[in-house]
Order: sequence, then structure tokens, then C-alpha cells
Amino acid sequence: MTASRSHRVRLDAITHRFGASTAVRDINLDIAGGELVALLGPSGCGKSTLLRIISGFIRQSEGRVLFDDSIADALSPAERGVGIVFQNYALFPHMSVGENVAYGLQAHKWSRERIAKRVAEMLDLVHMGEFAGRKPRELSGGQQQRVALARCLAIDPKVLLLDEPFGALDKNLRLDMQIEVKRLQRQSGITTILVTHDQEEALSMADRIAVMSRGRIEQISTPTGIYDTPQTLFVNEFVGTTNVLRGEFIDGSAVQLEHGVVLPVSPDKIFQQGHAVVVSIRPEQLRFQPAPSDGVFTAIITTVLPLGAQVVYDVALTGGPSLKVAEPRDAEGELREVGATVYLAPASPAACHVFPAS
Amino acid sequence: MAGRRRIRWEALSLKLVFGLLAAIALLFLVLPTAVVLLTSLTSSQSLRFPPPGFSLRWYVALLDADQMQRAGLNSLIVAFWTTLLSSICGTAAALAIARSRSPLMRAADLLFMSPLLLPALSFGFAALIFINRLGLSPSVPLLVLGHGIVCVPFVLRTTLASLSQLDASLLEASESLGADRLTTFRRITLPLIGPGIGAGAFLAFMASFDNVPVSLFLADERTEMLPIHLWQQIETNLDVRTAAASGAIVIATLILMLLAERFAGLTRQMH
Ligand SMILES: Nc1ncnc2c1ncn2[C@@H]1O[C@H](COP(=O)(O)OP(=O)(O)OP(=O)(O)O)[C@@H](O)[C@H]1O
Ligand SMILES: [Mg+2]
Repeated sequence: MTASRSHRVRLDAITHRFGASTAVRDINLDIAGGELVALLGPSGCGKSTLLRIISGFIRQSEGRVLFDDSIADALSPAERGVGIVFQNYALFPHMSVGENVAYGLQAHKWSRERIAKRVAEMLDLVHMGEFAGRKPRELSGGQQQRVALARCLAIDPKVLLLDEPFGALDKNLRLDMQIEVKRLQRQSGITTILVTHDQEEALSMADRIAVMSRGRIEQISTPTGIYDTPQTLFVNEFVGTTNVLRGEFIDGSAVQLEHGVVLPVSPDKIFQQGHAVVVSIRPEQLRFQPAPSDGVFTAIITTVLPLGAQVVYDVALTGGPSLKVAEPRDAEGELREVGATVYLAPASPAACHVFPAS
Repeated sequence: MAGRRRIRWEALSLKLVFGLLAAIALLFLVLPTAVVLLTSLTSSQSLRFPPPGFSLRWYVALLDADQMQRAGLNSLIVAFWTTLLSSICGTAAALAIARSRSPLMRAADLLFMSPLLLPALSFGFAALIFINRLGLSPSVPLLVLGHGIVCVPFVLRTTLASLSQLDASLLEASESLGADRLTTFRRITLPLIGPGIGAGAFLAFMASFDNVPVSLFLADERTEMLPIHLWQQIETNLDVRTAAASGAIVIATLILMLLAERFAGLTRQMH
């Protein structure tokens, strides 16, 4: 399996309605061969619907699905060659692990010898070789998932579709499986779409993330792009934690915050003077300052959370809301104390993201 | 405090009422069966309870009861074909009903269930008039048809229940792996709803085997059915062999039930 077998998937203005309600709206997405794209968003935003449209279980109301530049709309899931790992794995309960993996090959009319060889190969790939004779109910969640993966990879699908595949696993196992899936995906070079509502999962696994909200794609970008330069307040708040402050746009380079401070910013978009805006600053982008000055917040520490590698402080601005501040912790340094007065400023104007107030 | 005590009292009295009902039901079900079994083991010439002494002579006598045997064979044949017919029809209907959400299918569901709700006697009578109008006379196929109509609901219910347990993503998984509809049905759906169909088939067999109301109208001397034959024997000459036949049926049923429970989890399929 090499990257040359990787297939491109393109969504062209996809809209889907269930009766009167629109589940996904005007989705455009171009996924390169071998790429792993995560669809990230809160519950009900249309991730599964979009995945089912790509797989061919749902026919979209409008728009086109293209596989390698040919229109796939009329094709069944099998004809599209999609491999799907379902959220509950959907292993056939009355068949053994080996029979589960062989199922797709039998449907493709492979010879008995080739099937046996392929099943062994696939089970080895997911480290489940010794479990071939077991029934799915005799496996742990992670093992079931490996089998599900082996079963769908066995038929050598063009595109791998994963709908919240790690949702049912506990935290440690989830991390192991994420690494495992990433390894398999890299190794096979198979184009993959991963549905998740877990931002860490998306950030750690995906080449690109499409953040969805209410049926729309809010932003498509690399993980760092999503995190560092969010295009909307929704993306900013959904991925990572952030502090949101209300204010008014003064000119091209400053925002007058509601509680007094004038903050220098360098927004991508210029708003009208007096336009109501919100400024978002991530906790790790706030720096402690030695003394008050222009554009510096004065605050009192209310909570100290030493989280190992970093310390998170809850601080209350004088006459304003509270902020979260994250500071890397060095072993010698003392923690700041509750009740202490501190001075804070953003690391740079670029660390302040400005969005129109809704 | 007072409120909690009252709730506990209510819970207790509810338990008592249910316990009592269960005990009464058991009494009415088990006691007559036990009486029949004991009576069938009598050593005397007449149906009498309690029996003066015990013997297996009436069971031995069953071996020579030609007419009763013929009726029993008729009943078995009809029950067999009825089970086959209602299993196929019930399963097909269940599949169609489960797949569709249209009100038409809900109506069809009700229609299939109606033989259970309507008095079987009036159905038997109607069926007799109907076949008379068609100029047909009672025969085994007609009996099977009649029995089938009242037995389909059993298969329909148990199959619908197991279909509702069937995870739709299994079918999607099968489809995405390249299996066509027939393969998916044969290799995924059927094995997974099989126990449900089996449970329904078992109930259908039993319902056909001891059906009286439909057989009463659709059978004649040639196609006499066991329950009706037994009934007539008791009416006319209090034959102790009827008790022995009943005993044999009870025992056969128990064995069948145990087997069904062992292999298909019969009671699990019924809800
Ligand atoms: N078969 C359906 N019929 C009607 N509405 C549906 C159907 N499937 C989904 N929807 C609606 O479409 C919207 C998107 O659903 P979808 O399942 O795609 O969300 P999701 O992003 O996958 O959410 P989750 O993270 O909870 O799985 C929801 O509002 C949902 O209620
Ligand atoms: Mg979903």
C-alpha cells in the first residue's frame, strides 16, 4: 500500500435537509489523497450526516460528492469503496473475529486461500492475530475496535471513514488507539475522514480540521492554524480555552475594553470606529508584568491551579470579569499567592483576536 | 416521615396483590394440569379424582386407539404446515413492517394482529361460510390456511421484537463491505432474528396443535383434529384415554419447551 493509491474526495456545495430542518448547509471541502481530515464540532452540528453523505448512505439534497474527480452521487457505499468504522464498531455478533474480517472479502468473491491469507495479515496488522477464533463479545472495547478497523481495511477501501471511533474507550486506551490508527493511516496512505467532538483528538490526529457549527463549516485549517488564528469566535472558543472580553473598536490598532483598559491589537479585519467587538486572548498568551502601565490589566489572584508543567491562575480584573492565565512552571520558582495583586498584558497584539460582538 | 411510611405500605401491598395474583394464576394453571396428569395414571376403569390406584395402562391403551391416533396425526400434520406457513408469512410481514414507517404498514400490522384480538369462533364461522360460498369443502390445506391466519400473529410479534433489537449499523456495515441485500439478509439479518422466528414458530405450533375454534368449523370426520376428538370422547363416554392423551401432550410440550429454552432462550424472545 502506497500513497499513489490515495484517493481524493471533494464535496461541492453539499446541503442536506431532513424534512424542514437543514442538517448541513453549503459544505465545500477538498480532501487530498492520503490526507486525514477531522470533522470537529459540537453534538448535532451535522458531522455524522456529512459522513453518511460521503459514504453514500444518505443522498444529499443539493450539491455533489466527487471521488477522484468523478461524481459519486449515484454510487452505493460499496461502489464508492468506502471503509467505515462505526461508533459502536458494528461487529457481527454471531461471527468470530476471523469471520468478521473475512466477510467483506467473501462478498468480493475472493478465493478461500486468499481470504485466509488476507485475514491473517490484517489481524496481524492490528495485533489481533491470536484472537481470530473469539466472538466479538469476548473482546474489550479497544480490541473490538481493532477488529472493526481490520475488517474495513481488509477490502482495501479508497477512503476510510471513522465516526467517533474512540468515543467508547477510556482515556488511556483512547490515546493508544489514536496513535495506532494514525500509524495505520500513515502506513497505508489511505485518505481518511474522522468525525469527532473531541478537540484534542482532532488536534493530535488530523492533517487538517474542519470545525463545524450548526451545519456549516466555520473554518478549515491545519491544527495550529485553527488554534493560533481562529477565524470566528466559535472556533476560538470551541478549540482550546480562551478569555473573552467585550469592548469597542477605536481604530485600526486598539480596542477600548468595557472596564477601562485600551488594548493594542492587530486584527485581520478592520471594523468601523465604535463597532462593538469581543477580544479573545488565550490563557498562555497573557504575561505577568512587573508594574502597571498602558494596556496592562490590574488583577487579583483568586485561584491557583498547579497543573504539573504549568500553573493556571484565575484572576479577577478590578471592576471587570475574571481571566484565566497559564504560566509555565519552573521547579525552583514559587507559586504566586491568592490575593496578590498582579499586572497582566497580552504577549503581543497578534495574540489578541478580535471578533464582531454578536 | 409519615409520607415515606405510607409509600412503603403501598409498595408492600402492591407486592402482596401481585404475589397473590401470581399465586392464583399458578394455581389455576398448574393445578388442573396436575389433576389431569394424576387422573391419567389411574388404575380404575373410569375418570375419577383422586385415582384409587396408579398404573400406566391407559397410556398403553393409547397405542390401540386408532381414531385418536389418526386425529393426533392430523393435528400434527396441520400444525407442521401451519408453523411453516405462519413462519414464512410472519417473518416476511415483520420485515416489511419493521422497515417502513408509513401508516399503511401500521394498518397492516393491526390487520395481521386482528385474529388474536377477534374471537376465533367468529373467525372460524366466517371462514366456513366463505369456503362454502367458494364451493370448497373442508380439507387439510384449508385447515392449514385457517390455522395460519390465527397463528401468524405469534411469529409476527416475536420477529418484530427481535428486529427492533437488530442494530441497523450491522446492516450498513454489511452493505459497505460489499454484500448485496440478499447476502446481508441471509448472513446477518436471518441469523440474528432466527431465535425470534423460532420462538414465534414454537408458539404458532402450539397454538395450531390445540386450536379448537377454527378446527371446529373447518374440519370434518376425515380431517378430525385431536382437541376436538378428545372433547367428543369426554362428552360421550368419559374415556380415560383422553386423560392419558392430555398427559402425553403436556409432557411432550414440557420437553419441547425445555429444549426451546435451552437452545433459543424462548422466554428471552417473548418481550
Ligand atoms: N434521520 C434523521 N432525521 C431527521 N433529522 C435528523 C436525522 N439525522 C440527523 N438529524 C438531525 O440533523 C442534525 C445533525 O445530526 P448529526 O447526527 O449529523 O449530528 P452530529 O454532529 O453527528 O452529532 P453527534 O455528535 O451528537 O453525533 C441534528 O439536528 C439531528 O437532529
Ligand atoms: Mg454523530
